[in-house]
Amino acid sequence: MPFKRISQANPLLTLGLIVAAWLLLPTAVKTVARASFFELTAPVTLAASRVRDLQDFWALRARSRTELIEAGRDLARVNASFELAVQQNGELRAEVARLEELLRLSPLRDHRLEHARVARRDFSGWWQRIVIRKGRDHEIPVGAPVVFSGGVVGRVSEVHATTAVVELISSPTMRLAGVVEGDTRPISFQGGVNPTLAPPRGVVELMPLDIIASPAVPKRLVTAGFGGVFPPGLTLGTIIRADLASDGLFKSGEVALDPRLGTLTEVSVLVPVAPASAPVRATP
Amino acid sequence: MRRVIILLLTQVLLWALLAELNHGLSGWQVHVFGGALFVVYPALYLGRKEGLLVAAWAGLLCDAHSPVAFGTHGLLFAAAHLLLFRARERVPRHDPVSQILVVLFTNLALFLGLSLFRLLVAPAPGGAWGRLLPDLVASQVTLALGAVWFLGLQDRLVRLGDVWAALRGHRD
Repeated sequence: MPFKRISQANPLLTLGLIVAAWLLLPTAVKTVARASFFELTAPVTLAASRVRDLQDFWALRARSRTELIEAGRDLARVNASFELAVQQNGELRAEVARLEELLRLSPLRDHRLEHARVARRDFSGWWQRIVIRKGRDHEIPVGAPVVFSGGVVGRVSEVHATTAVVELISSPTMRLAGVVEGDTRPISFQGGVNPTLAPPRGVVELMPLDIIASPAVPKRLVTAGFGGVFPPGLTLGTIIRADLASDGLFKSGEVALDPRLGTLTEVSVLVPVAPASAPVRATP
Repeated sequence: MRRVIILLLTQVLLWALLAELNHGLSGWQVHVFGGALFVVYPALYLGRKEGLLVAAWAGLLCDAHSPVAFGTHGLLFAAAHLLLFRARERVPRHDPVSQILVVLFTNLALFLGLSLFRLLVAPAPGGAWGRLLPDLVASQVTLALGAVWFLGLQDRLVRLGDVWAALRGHRD
């Protein structure tokens, strides 16, 4: 019983022994334990998400038929414009493929869209993450880009059996390369401090001196496509401020991100596909 | 062991409630941290080993859902449990006001501890406090309003478990 006597005498010593034991524990054990704890509580997250969906369903059932008819009419108009865009997209893809063959370029990385409902949003000052309702069961890979109608959402950071965790671009530890629309010089983008009761923010660094951005003259920031993770041209946000950095060689600035990031309910994961497979398709 | 199992289930309930609350608050960029609620009841009313088990288990549960080194919450909760356990004889622990004060001070310590862990790896630690302070205020207000209810729920469930066990023993 010497341990019992020591632990009763000094709680800090007990804590020290626990810390030492924890540090000596093999990483494999910790990894398995972490995954087990997550999977153990995943049904709770999924059940809460399904209940929310049910609430929305019954709320929508309460809408009048006139509202539904109007919504259907608006949707038909949007569909018509998207169909036109799909046709133009097909033509452009064929042109790209023809040029790739002509110039003997390696083909661009292709993706399929995997739509997923957001099961949980976790936006703290320490991190900004969401949990989506698709995981290994839908072949979601770690590192896959996640997008929505407003642009980039983030990157898949963890994949579990039926869920995946996405780190948002507003997260302070998220960093990726971007370019100002119409420019080719890369800029470093990083998630910023997201103030309370305000839209999410990011910061840019290593911005060329000749790029001017202000609230009156904002600049659209898009993905650079370097590194092969994010396809080029996806919206990251809008640069609303650019000042000379302390080194005097570059500018640094502030990026306003899409305010809808805070209320996401559905996102799309860009799952890379083998070059020989079919072009972008949407799965239900 | 019966008490430990009951408290582990209430910890899962608390975790789910906090997750739902934070899900709803995400649009306003507000986050509620309720770490103290995982620790206070086991530290004030359970035995040393049982309480430590419950607190560490809750910490690991939080760790599994956070991008921190696995064990960070677990060690913070274990430390809070050991310190509270040592001080519990000097606290009027059956008084609701004292319970709320213990919860608030414990939550403050845990929030600051976790923030220090996170700010060690943050790219701009100075600016982060502008966001963390409103989160801390929101957390403390929420806990001040909800702590007595949750501690009462835990107490009631533990007592129900004791009564059920006594009735079962009497029947046998």
